[in-house]
Amino acid sequence: MGAKRDEPNFGLSFPITFKMMFKEEWRQNVDFAKSRRILMFPALLAIVSMALTIGLRFLTGDGVSGANAEEISRETFTFDQLRTGIHLMVFLFSMGMGTFAFLGRSIVSQRSGGKNFLLASPAMQPIDLQTTYLAYYLKEVSFYIVLILFPVTIGMALGIASQSFLEITTPLLWTSLLPFLVCISLTMAQGIAISFFGSTLMSRGNQWNFLVPILGAFIGAIIYVGFIPMEKAIIGLWAHSNESINALIWTPLAFLSCAILAWISAGLLPEDFEVRITGRDDLFIPIYEKLGKIGLRSDSRMRILIAKEIVDVLRSGTLLKMLGSFAVPLLFLLLLAWGADFASFPIPFNLLSYAPFIGFFGFNFYSWLNAIDAPDHLNTMPVSVPELLKAKIWTYFLLTSWIGVIFILLMAGMLDQWNDALSAMIVMLANSIYIVSLSAWLMGLRPNKAIFDSGIMARFWVATAFPLIGLFVLSFTKGDTTLLENWGMQVSAGGLNAEAQAIELENRQSTSLTGILGICAILVSLSFLYLRLLKRKWGSAPFEN
Amino acid sequence: MLSWKEVNLNGPVSNTLSEYLVEAEGLAKRFGDFVALQPLDVKVQAGEFFGVFGPNGAGKSTFIRLLTGQLRPSAGTAKVLGINVDSKPRLVKANIGIVPESESPPSYLTAAEFLEFVARLRNIDEINEKVNYWLDWFGMTDKSGTLCKDLSKGQRQKVMLASAFIHEPRLLFLDEPFVNLDPIYQRKCRELLLEHISNGGTIFLCSHILEIAERLCTRVAVIDHGRVLAAGKMNDLRNSKSETLEDIFIRLVGKSIDEIEAESITEEE
Repeated sequence: MGAKRDEPNFGLSFPITFKMMFKEEWRQNVDFAKSRRILMFPALLAIVSMALTIGLRFLTGDGVSGANAEEISRETFTFDQLRTGIHLMVFLFSMGMGTFAFLGRSIVSQRSGGKNFLLASPAMQPIDLQTTYLAYYLKEVSFYIVLILFPVTIGMALGIASQSFLEITTPLLWTSLLPFLVCISLTMAQGIAISFFGSTLMSRGNQWNFLVPILGAFIGAIIYVGFIPMEKAIIGLWAHSNESINALIWTPLAFLSCAILAWISAGLLPEDFEVRITGRDDLFIPIYEKLGKIGLRSDSRMRILIAKEIVDVLRSGTLLKMLGSFAVPLLFLLLLAWGADFASFPIPFNLLSYAPFIGFFGFNFYSWLNAIDAPDHLNTMPVSVPELLKAKIWTYFLLTSWIGVIFILLMAGMLDQWNDALSAMIVMLANSIYIVSLSAWLMGLRPNKAIFDSGIMARFWVATAFPLIGLFVLSFTKGDTTLLENWGMQVSAGGLNAEAQAIELENRQSTSLTGILGICAILVSLSFLYLRLLKRKWGSAPFEN
Repeated sequence: MLSWKEVNLNGPVSNTLSEYLVEAEGLAKRFGDFVALQPLDVKVQAGEFFGVFGPNGAGKSTFIRLLTGQLRPSAGTAKVLGINVDSKPRLVKANIGIVPESESPPSYLTAAEFLEFVARLRNIDEINEKVNYWLDWFGMTDKSGTLCKDLSKGQRQKVMLASAFIHEPRLLFLDEPFVNLDPIYQRKCRELLLEHISNGGTIFLCSHILEIAERLCTRVAVIDHGRVLAAGKMNDLRNSKSETLEDIFIRLVGKSIDEIEAESITEEE
């Protein structure tokens, strides 16, 4: 007994922490959905990726007939554009996944409750925060590579292989696969590291709460307008664009620099997670009273639940995080509107095309709302999960919808599109209602765990892709449906053998917004349907997140 | 009543004990405006079973968290096993066992995995044997593959106790270790802790279960509102031979509350 022990060194503590964190992540996901459905998620990705690989010739113009080279070039994507698009998508996705400095603080503060995670282990075990968070960072990167990027690459390989038995051709080569996997993984590692760095600075509070979003938006904007080329900002994209051995041999160093950034970020985390125990003025009753002014009855359980949710958001500091994560993309868009010449853009952005984008943020905020506090204590109360879900939706609108409205007004001023301001607000609000209601219905109290549930994500994709793409496209064209009609004609005529065909663009620019507002009306109607269905789906569910 | 200025916890201890395993001087903690622990001194010698008792919110857990490097002090210094806690908290944690008041093991690891994690982190030998031994000792062999979140509160407490014992530390910090345990395992654990003491180990215990103090502790301190009301051997704290620790506790804490109420009335006037 009592043998003297040294502090465990990095070589000892890192591997076991990383290994156990990987298990923890897998278990968390399996706990939400069955492992079969989790494994279906990569299968689904592989199928989508295979389909895109097979259809790649249409996107790049290889499968287009009946048009001259100039038209083909104008109407299709180059490989460079596709590559940039994919890297940008993965980069933005990973930026959303890397805010675990916030997550860590809430986990540590809640470790005395029913749930605990390895991120909180430095409190009790002889391991430092820096090693723990580096393990968490690498776990995140490797988990997403295994569950997302591997399957996508396998799907691409299946697409190439299908040439031998499907009488189709794809411009993708076998030799492109490994560079793709390495470079796209690098992009993901960089996105998560940068996001972790930003959230670490924000978790230090004070001026960082404002500086990080402003700086993030500013950097995003100058990259987007080309002041810093995107190929130089996203190192995975740079390596992918220069698919030479020279570029690829630098990738291990690039991965290492991402890990070093994560290591530095982890070192900047506040060392302890003390809670300031101070007397607080009563917040619940004043908020409860104010909610009466918006028509909620005094005997309404909803009013009590909403008041509790708002108190949680305000006291936990989540409102600041929500505003911060809202502010980055919105400031980015505002800076773009200020500094970019939209007339020269290949895609005609306008106020109406921004609006559905803002509405889509609803999913992020709904996730935040579910991460603040464990709802288990409500299991003993005379309330049901659907009531709490509705309270969260109310809370979301009461606390964040004004940001979207202000943003639309600012954008209308910058783009000088005041005529579309009202319509844009309707589109934004309709989308918000739809996305949040859909998320609540599909994912209940555990939206953060739902992203790897293939069943849920397939339904989420279908339910969001069609209306949002429709709105997006209609907003670019302000009602000009030429593009859709052409696509529809080709598919109905040729089925799976359809070929994209350049068309003579008639000057049919319509100013009608009927289509857009019609979709919005459908979205709002569907939202009410989802809210009505909450009771059936979640009526007997326990309070657990 | 003894005020914190008049007492430290370095009461008389057995002459056979000489080495201080826990030493704190002027150790204090504030959370913003809230004073969780007023400055106090404490010395615990090797072989002692030292108990800190007090009502809910008295500052017991803050005290233990300061001594185990989970919190940083607002003032004062603490040494555990001769190591400065503030400058080397990890080294302290590597050499002690901690059972927190309410913290659970990680929810999505099994009981066996969590013990394996702790054992590997602490670089102990014969990991599998020790994991199995402690699971068996706590009657949890059949639960070794169950996720900790699916265990009962008592079972989670057993896992936390096993994680504190698995590396056989010389010094144990236990914060309400018997809460949630059934009477059989309360007794088993009590016997284990006494065996630990008889083998030369040392225990620093926080609790509000006074019966434990009377049965186990060689020296106790009663704290309330972040200050020490009394400290010493049980016999030193008694006003009469028949007085139990519960009587002492109510006498001390009750008086303290009366005084505080009187103080607040005076302030209002």
